[in-house]
Amino acid sequence: MIEIRVGKLAKMLGIHRNTVRNWIKNGELDATPMVGKRYGIGRESFTRFLESKGVAKNMILELMADAAKTPGPGKTAKPETPIIQKEVRMLDKPVGSVMVVGGGIAGIQASLDLADSGYYVYLLEKGPGIGGGMARLDKTFPTNDCAM
Amino acid sequence: MECGRHLNIEILTLSEVVAVTGQAGAFSVTVKKNPRFIDMDKCIACGICSQKCPKKVDDEFNMGISKRKAAYIQYGQTVPLKYAIDPKTCLFTTKGKCRACEKFCPTGAINFDDKEEIQTFSVGSLILSPGYKPFDPAGIDFYGYGKIPDVVTGLEYERMLSPGGPFHGHLEKPSDHKEPKNIAWIQCVGSRSTNRCENGYCSSVCCMYAMKQALITAAHLPDGGRQTLFYMDIRSHGKEFELYYNYAKEHDIRFVRARPHTIEPGPGNTGVTMRYVTEDGRQLKEDFDMAVLSVGMEASADALDLSQKTGIELTAYNFAKTGSFTPVSSSRDGIFVSGCFKGPMNIPSSVAVASAASAEASKALISAKGTLTREKKYPAEKDLSGQPPRIGVFVCSCGSNIAGVVDVAAVVDYAKTLPYVVHAENNMFACSTDTQELLAKVIGEQNLNRIVIAACTPRTHEPLFQDTLKEAGLNGYLVEMANIRNHNSWVHQKQPEKATAKAMDQVRMAAAKVGLAFPIQELQVNVVQKALVIGGGVAGMNAALGLADQGYETMLLEKTDALGGNAWHLSTTAKNEKIRPMLEQLIQKVESHERIEILKNARLTSSTGTVGNFTSSIQIGNESREIQYGAAVLATGARESEPTEFMYGEDARIMTHLEFEKELAERKDRVQSAGSAVFIQCVGSRNTRRPYCSRVCCTHSVQNAITLKTLNPSMNVYVLYRDMRTYGTREDLYTEARRRGVVFIRYDLENPPLVAKTDGALTVKVTDPILGMPLELTTDYLILAAAIVPNETRELVELYKCAVNADGFLNEAHPKLRPVDMAVDGLFIAGLCTYPKPIDESISQAKAAVARANVILSQNVMQLDAIKSFVTDHCDGCALCLDVCPYRAITLTQHSDNGHTAKKISTDKALCKGCGLCAATCPKRGVMVHGFTTEQLRAQVYAALDLIG
Repeated sequence: MIEIRVGKLAKMLGIHRNTVRNWIKNGELDATPMVGKRYGIGRESFTRFLESKGVAKNMILELMADAAKTPGPGKTAKPETPIIQKEVRMLDKPVGSVMVVGGGIAGIQASLDLADSGYYVYLLEKGPGIGGGMARLDKTFPTNDCAM
Repeated sequence: MECGRHLNIEILTLSEVVAVTGQAGAFSVTVKKNPRFIDMDKCIACGICSQKCPKKVDDEFNMGISKRKAAYIQYGQTVPLKYAIDPKTCLFTTKGKCRACEKFCPTGAINFDDKEEIQTFSVGSLILSPGYKPFDPAGIDFYGYGKIPDVVTGLEYERMLSPGGPFHGHLEKPSDHKEPKNIAWIQCVGSRSTNRCENGYCSSVCCMYAMKQALITAAHLPDGGRQTLFYMDIRSHGKEFELYYNYAKEHDIRFVRARPHTIEPGPGNTGVTMRYVTEDGRQLKEDFDMAVLSVGMEASADALDLSQKTGIELTAYNFAKTGSFTPVSSSRDGIFVSGCFKGPMNIPSSVAVASAASAEASKALISAKGTLTREKKYPAEKDLSGQPPRIGVFVCSCGSNIAGVVDVAAVVDYAKTLPYVVHAENNMFACSTDTQELLAKVIGEQNLNRIVIAACTPRTHEPLFQDTLKEAGLNGYLVEMANIRNHNSWVHQKQPEKATAKAMDQVRMAAAKVGLAFPIQELQVNVVQKALVIGGGVAGMNAALGLADQGYETMLLEKTDALGGNAWHLSTTAKNEKIRPMLEQLIQKVESHERIEILKNARLTSSTGTVGNFTSSIQIGNESREIQYGAAVLATGARESEPTEFMYGEDARIMTHLEFEKELAERKDRVQSAGSAVFIQCVGSRNTRRPYCSRVCCTHSVQNAITLKTLNPSMNVYVLYRDMRTYGTREDLYTEARRRGVVFIRYDLENPPLVAKTDGALTVKVTDPILGMPLELTTDYLILAAAIVPNETRELVELYKCAVNADGFLNEAHPKLRPVDMAVDGLFIAGLCTYPKPIDESISQAKAAVARANVILSQNVMQLDAIKSFVTDHCDGCALCLDVCPYRAITLTQHSDNGHTAKKISTDKALCKGCGLCAATCPKRGVMVHGFTTEQLRAQVYAALDLIG
């Protein structure tokens, strides 16, 4: 069991205090409140949590060592670039392209509709050519049209 | 195919998703691109690498029946038409020797240093459509697949029938290559079974494909042969499918309700001997020349892998998990699913959900619309005035489709002798992307100004060639197609010499006509970027909401005073989701949307204009109003019919599905205390009056039967059915119902149940086909699965000139490939008005209609077809053509000239479809159609009669 302080952890990760509090509140970060605004957390679950947030290994070790120290007033300088990228909440500027995975009849139709209405499409196909299952069919009922 | 030429579609072949990071609107997708070992820019698809390649491997495209080389293309019309080297089998990549292809490749395209590449793409949304895997029956030993050569799967048989397949369209037995006369199909192999596989669901497509194969086989064989289908239930639950089933029965396809349990090698080690038990308990043994296993669909390993990499949830059957109200959304925001990844489905459903997925995928990206796309710019058209025709003739081999019958080289030589023809050549596939480039090059080099394409049908391929001409600086209407495939090589397969002569005639006619062709200017229409939705049910509301979310002002027309339609009367979906809360939420969203205007008690009274620019009058109560819109979605719905049989209306205990839903909701106690309930299926459906299947009733009855058994496990619940049609994963409900003790008894159309009332007790008499004995059931409830009938649309059909089928359902433009478009451009359909369907399919269709309408509404200016009628100086205003014009595009006008008043007609270019009825009616060449002038047609006829030269 190690002890952490919300403010300190937030500072070290370069994120807002409330983000850390929310993690604890919704159970994402499995920490139990202790005396003096401190939280206790299992070493292992803390590592797992940091890993799931995409924090690099050496950084985790550093954080663990830091957290294990006797808690004092937060002296750690704020890192120049935040360790965890802030969650991108923008949707005001989405990307104007779509990736379609699978080049069968459904993938082709989806691609055409999107490309015809103003979006750039990447059509991904595992094989060397598109067409999928329908290209195999000889004829289609009820019109007996050639599947091509 | 259009996709290969689209400016805004980049096809990444041999590629797989490795990881997806980021969130909806801004994903970053890591893609692994496997090496092709052939430079796509240099490959000209000449096929020499494949010829020289010494390594033969099973051709997976032909289901392993034939061989291909390690250097290969999948099939003749592959997009992109570029060869690839299969590193798993190539001698050089596996053993370090050979490199024959490299030596012989004329363009030096072979590159064995090609490496796997990892690329990252930024995209706003993802659509996953990895498809299905045909079930592999090798594990089911009693069918003998893999051991007996004449046992094949449905997909293998499909390839055997195909002209492009391993046997070039000549049907033969795999064992001795003789023609099979007597073929059996076995349905539900790898579907509806949890015994030898885990696929408890119905694959939905096999009944129809087996019937199609049986009918095509009958047409293939000189004396028709003999075809037998062994089935459990025939599931022809799609639009016009039941008619196809009836047609198959009328054409001597034999249907046997049995599940063969053993297949053994036939006498003399060819064919098969099959053992089966009929419904009445007889054990039979029968010999067939071949057995076709109608294998079902299952989730592919790729799909599983993809779901893990993209982090989306799957169902127990490994299909993508979706909700009935959000039919194309995966469990991860911004990632959508389509096609058979959602579950087994046929082509039209796949196309519809694909369009739906594209609508959903683009919804979140509207603010970025058009930011990454490019527009096509054509070079200025060359001025041809005063130039004599210089005709180029391109004769397509279509693989062996044409060249297998017609002597294409002779046709090319002949074409060179025709007047004005300055160039003629033969192409393997005229429609391939590479030939298009070649065509443009030749036009430039030879200074050609008229083109003849002797290939297939202009219906599918003319736009492609027109586009190529435009790219080469020619007007798109200077091309003429001679259909030497559909009109010739396909129908004259047995007379190659006569077919070659006919092909020459066809080319001569086309050349004569195109020599007189003149450039035609395309018409442009300014698009009114507003939409109209007719019908305020679930489909209509979803369509309106979708269109409004795409940014268009949308009017929602409802004939009654309330939104919601049939959904008010339904309790849960097949996935057991409650409908009422969804409906209330949907209505609330529609009502509060700033871009939706709801017009209740309204109906359409007139309509003029055409795609991109419609004008209509609507009547709301006593007021009349004019509206303008660029596209419309028709979602006029359907309703439950009122039964005329089984004593309906004579006793309160006899009720329809919807009435029983109400009973369940309002008088649960009474239902719970009932001792027994009987459901009768196909009431008013699948008979001579309504020859279609109402699709939803089997699932509905089974669901209610389960509800009854849950309320009161000791209740006797019977379902009297003809074919149980719980298609797709709905099959699980049927299994569940049987597990809970619901009794299913089959009856025939000729021998329906008899309902009687004696001393106040309601009894149903039916003959159980398995016991072979009549049963009498006394019941407290008799629930009739009444047919679904379309709402009245005669007025709309009249106004829009759109099409309905014999049953009154609105028709789509193409039953397979354009399931939500109507034949009238700019009109789309969704929901029950096209055919009975459950709520999730209605919503899919509505969203698909949004995507299709979006294609029109997203443009400011739209190009229209240029084939229109025009008035000549010969017109004297006799007005004969006015009556024949089906589009009301002709009006009579008066104009004065030097004091003379003369009458003359004028045509509305937007309304005219170029059908030519006016030109045919006109006695004095006063009106003609561009591209089909009297001179052109006359030249064509003279050429046919060989009167020139």
